[in-house]
Order: sequence, then C-alpha cells, then structure tokens
Amino acid sequence: MRIALKRLPMLLLAFLLLAPHLAVAQEVPGVSAEAIRIGSFGALTGPGYLYGRLVMNGVEAVFDKVNAAGGVHGRRLTLVREDDRCEPSGAIAAVRKLVFQEQSFALVGGGCSNATLAARGEIEQSGVPFVNFASVHDGITLPRARNIFSTALTSGIESQAQIAYALDQGARRIAVVSMRDAWGRSRYEPLMAEIRRRGITLVADEEVPPDANDATPQVLRVRQANADAVILLLYPKPGAVFLRDAAKFGFRPLAIGQSGIADPAAFEEQVGVPGATARFVTISMVRYTPDSPEVAAWRDAIQAKYPADRLSVFNLFGIGNAQTLVEALRRAGPQPTREGLIAALNTISDFPTDAFGSGITCTPEDGRCNKTVVWIQKPPGGPIRVIGTTTVQ
Amino acid sequence: MRQPVLLGLAGALALAVLPLVANPYLLFVGNQLAIFVILAVGLNLLVGYCGQLAFSHAALSGIGAYGTALLKVHLGLPFFLALPCGALLATAVGLAISYPALRLSGLYLSLATLAFAQFTLWVFMNWEAVTFGAGGFRVPAPSYPLIGAGLGTYYLSLALAVLLALAAASLVRSRLGRAMIAVRDGEVAAEALGINLLRTKAMAFGLSAFYAGVAGGLQALMLGYMAPESFDLFHMALMKAMIVVGGLGSIAGSVIGAGAVLFLLEGLRAFKGAQEIAFGSLLIAAVVFAPRGLAGALNRLPRWRESYLRRPARDAAP
Repeated sequence: MRIALKRLPMLLLAFLLLAPHLAVAQEVPGVSAEAIRIGSFGALTGPGYLYGRLVMNGVEAVFDKVNAAGGVHGRRLTLVREDDRCEPSGAIAAVRKLVFQEQSFALVGGGCSNATLAARGEIEQSGVPFVNFASVHDGITLPRARNIFSTALTSGIESQAQIAYALDQGARRIAVVSMRDAWGRSRYEPLMAEIRRRGITLVADEEVPPDANDATPQVLRVRQANADAVILLLYPKPGAVFLRDAAKFGFRPLAIGQSGIADPAAFEEQVGVPGATARFVTISMVRYTPDSPEVAAWRDAIQAKYPADRLSVFNLFGIGNAQTLVEALRRAGPQPTREGLIAALNTISDFPTDAFGSGITCTPEDGRCNKTVVWIQKPPGGPIRVIGTTTVQ
Repeated sequence: MRQPVLLGLAGALALAVLPLVANPYLLFVGNQLAIFVILAVGLNLLVGYCGQLAFSHAALSGIGAYGTALLKVHLGLPFFLALPCGALLATAVGLAISYPALRLSGLYLSLATLAFAQFTLWVFMNWEAVTFGAGGFRVPAPSYPLIGAGLGTYYLSLALAVLLALAAASLVRSRLGRAMIAVRDGEVAAEALGINLLRTKAMAFGLSAFYAGVAGGLQALMLGYMAPESFDLFHMALMKAMIVVGGLGSIAGSVIGAGAVLFLLEGLRAFKGAQEIAFGSLLIAAVVFAPRGLAGALNRLPRWRESYLRRPARDAAP
C-alpha cells in the first residue's frame, strides 16, 4: 500500500501527460488505440455486386497489406461492409448504420449511382469523410461537398473523354446510341451538354433498351446517317447486340464505349461475330488489365484471400481507392480526426496508385480526384492492351 | 380491449419512446417499420379481406410518393398539403384502375395489375419533364414545429401507422368490411346476399390505394430522394411477403409481417448473402407450416382472437 501511495504522484503525472491523447483516441468515432474502423457500402448481392463486393475485396486486400506492415501509425485498418441492395432506401440505411451504429471513422463505397446519390445528403450532413469507389453519377461529387471525394471516374468526365477521343480520331459524323435508364441518363445528359458545348451536331441519336435482343432498326438508322463514330452509352449486353447487328450489315464504324463495358475480352465473346469488335475501344478506370504482370502481387493477394475469385478490374478500383485513403490517413497523423482526414485528402496531389491512369489529385474545390480516362482495346485474337489516356481538365 | 390491439398499442408506445434511446439508424428503421405497416395493412385490405390478387400496390405507393414529392418540388406546396394530395392522387388512380380490373379475377387480374405497375414505372422513368426521369430527384426536407425533419417524419409516420391500422381494424368489422369478406369467400353467394360486387371491389381498391399513397408520401419525406427503382417488382414482392408471412385477412398479421420482413432486410445485414436464403425460407415455411401466417399461429393462443383470417385453400369450402 505504501509503495502504491509513493507511486501515486508519478501515476498522476503520467495520466496528465497522456490524457489529451487518450481523450482524442476515445472521442473520435471509429478510432481506438489499436484500430481504425472504415465503413463500406455497396451491393453485396444481386447483379450490382461487381461494383460493390468485388471493389470491397480490393479495399480489404490493401488493408491486409497495410496491417501486415504494422498498420497506419500503429493502428490496424478494419473494414465494415454493409449491403445497400443497389437501392436508395438501402443506401441511406447502410450509411446511417455505418455512421451511427458501427461508428465508422470514414466511409468508402458507392456502387449503384442512384443509391449513392440518395445517400449523399446523409453523408454530407454527417461530416464523415467519404471516398466513392465506383458510382459514376456527377451528382455525387457536384456540387462540391467538403467531405465527399471520388476516385471513380464520373460520367461527365467519361463523356468529355469520349467526345475528345472521337474528334482526335478524325471523326466528323458522330452518332450516339444510348440506354435511357438511370445509368444511361447519368451519362447521356453530360454527353449532350459536352456536345452542345463543342457545337457538334449529331448525325443520329438512338436508344437501345437494356434488355434488347435486336438492334437492327437502330443500326440501319445510324448507318443511313453515315456515322463514322458511334458513342455507345450501353451496358455490355445491349452494346453487344448493337455491334453484332452492325456487323451483320457490314457496318463497322469506330465504336467508343465507356467504363460500363470494362472487359473487352468478355465483350468480344458476347458479340460473337469475328472481327465485329475490331474498331471498338472502351474506357477503363484502371491502367492495367487483370493479367498484367504489374499487378501480379495483387492477383496473388486476392486469390489467397478469396480463393473463389480471380483478380478483376473491379478489385483494382478498390485497390486504387484504398491506397488513396491509406495515404490520407498517414498524412492525417497519429491522432486522426475526421476533419484532419478531410484536410489530408485535400492535400493529395498527383498521388500514384497501382490502379488508376495517372496520379490522384483532390482539392478543396474539386472532389473528383480521378480525371484520367484509360483507353483499352482488344484486337481480334490478341490480348487487351492500353492504347492511350485522356486527362480531362 | 382485445389482445392484438393492446399489443399493437404497446408496440407503438415503445416506438414512440425509441428516439430517447436510439441512434439515427435505428430511428430510420423504426420509420421504415411504420411505413411498411401502412403498406401491409392497405394491401391486406385488398388481397386478404377482399380476395383481389392485385400487383399494383408498389406502383400506387410510387404514385403517392411521386405525387407528394412533385407537388412539393414543382408547385412548392407545403408537405402537410402535398402528402394528402399525393395519397388522394393514388386513391383516384386506384379507383380508376379498379373499373377495368373488376371484369377480371384471379391470374388475369394479377396480370392486368402487373401490366399497370410496369406502365407506372415506365412513366416515372420517361416522363422526364415532370418526374425527372430515371435519375431521380431530391425532395426538400419538410419542416415541423419544434422538432427536426427526421424526428418529425418519424412521429408523423408512427401516428399515421397507428391511426390507419386502427381504422382498418374497425373497417373490417363494418358493413363494408363484411361485404369485402363475403366477396372474398364467394362472389356468387355475396351477390345473392345483395352485395354490390362492383362497388365493394372498387372501395377495396380505393382504400388500399389510399394506404399505399400515404405510405409512399411518407417514404418520399423520409428518404428525401425519389427514384423509380424504389417502386419496382422487388418491392411488390416484399409487400406480398409481408401479408403472406403475417397472415392474409389479418390486421395484426400485417403488422407482424411488416416487422418480420423488415427484420430480414435490416437485421440480417450482419450475415452477408443470407438475406435471400432467409427470405425464401421464411416464405416457404409460412406457406407450408403456417398457411394462415404468423397471425394464424397466434390465433391459437388463448384470449387472442381475430375473426377474419383468410382460410387456407385446403380448408376452404369446395
């Protein structure tokens, strides 16, 4: 007892010195002395899981690597996943649960655009830093919300790049073939705005529904308009139907896809007509294909953690996103706060990742941190190759 | 007072004090429960009590939701006017579709109402000048005296859920309710008793649409965002599941079914990918082991009596 009393002043002094740090560790939601909890929402089930679960697997692969190397300032990173079922109410519920129930320090996520857009108000109001990894709708990042960032290309950026690419290739008679569902609209409207801005007159503007099995009328109208470049705002299935029917009539214009058709090898198989995709180029958010030797380490990491999966471009979205977040967490220092993380994200400039087309740059004025579109193509019988990049200003 | 009503009121009281202890996520779930209860009670009036196998409920709630939200966005109506107007719009549309649908029954009625639901979704997606198209739109937050928007919408939803559930429980014991039950149990016999089939079915469609419209309007206020996918066939399936699991022809069953479905949607978030399995299992279990739903099982309890449960097919008279 006497020994304990003798040590009391020392203990009090130590407590006084450590108290501010302990207080920070206790007060900041999702941050403990050992770990930082990051919440993630997106589709874990259903057809949208590509843009949810697979991207989260990529995020988790990065977290595992960081944790194996000692974490961020000694803290392990943990990922809490919530299914938003690709619908507005699901996304709002998921965000509220991650913020208020799970006490997440920051959020990464966002797969289906409408769902993420619906949750934007909740995220903005909560003040929790959010880095979107897959949703493309411009409304998620515009107008600027101080705590919302995106490492995904936005539909407006892709639309600008599609027009720029067509003009660079010497196209003079441009046609647009689009879907008019939520996804298609989120791309069609910024594309039309860009077309108006550049004073371009479209020679054809056709619609193909997402579940189309035949696109003969649309092909014939675009061919009759003598289009030399066709911008495809279509999912892989209707896109494949359009190119298949175009090949039937020997019509092979320059076809310009977007990140919705991110796997030209699978797309070539879906079209199923030899040579029909020879003039098809599309956008990838990432500069490597899953088979590239540059991503061999990530391929191994994904397969070790998820034996049923093979590395996909969707994993790479998550890898680039998580690397950006981890860098910001490092910059936020050993006593991270949400405000500190937002400030740190705003200092990310030309930050290289293992995934994206060029460095990631976020600023207080612009949360769209990835503006470099990667063009990929698969020549018939050949491998997928990167043919260039377009950085949109 | 009867036991189901007492238990329902006790549940409502528990929800009323929930904001004192719950975080915003649990409040959201509580709000959603109130909306699901209104949807399920409304659908049960049409399907469980009147025996009309319609698939238009999600679309009608969409009309209520879009009506409320668009009246606020385009015309600047305050929500306390926009909400009833949206519900009345849904009621009007429900009554309008009831007349052609009244010539049909069984599967043909299902197909006709399914076509209507798809048409409504198409309108939401393509009438862009009014509905803002497939991309959806934001709904301004309502303002309430003394309390914030989230809490205000929560209490409004809860109050309306209690009110509408009690109204439905009273309605099914009224002359109209008994006429609906008679129509469900045998149209020829009902006509022989002097019941006007057309009027009774139209009233059931209209009432059900009103409930759907109120629920839709509340959803618009709660989410602050409207998009067509919130009213698709998946949501129709959810509503059907609520009344099948809870019990056809039971107001208590509607409340229990709404809770069970919400529990699956939210409670099983921790078990990724298990929702579909649990959802399917619950439906199969309900059909095989409890054809009268959970309310049917509760009806075996002493002092728990709900008279108008729909009989399972094997018990029905030939």
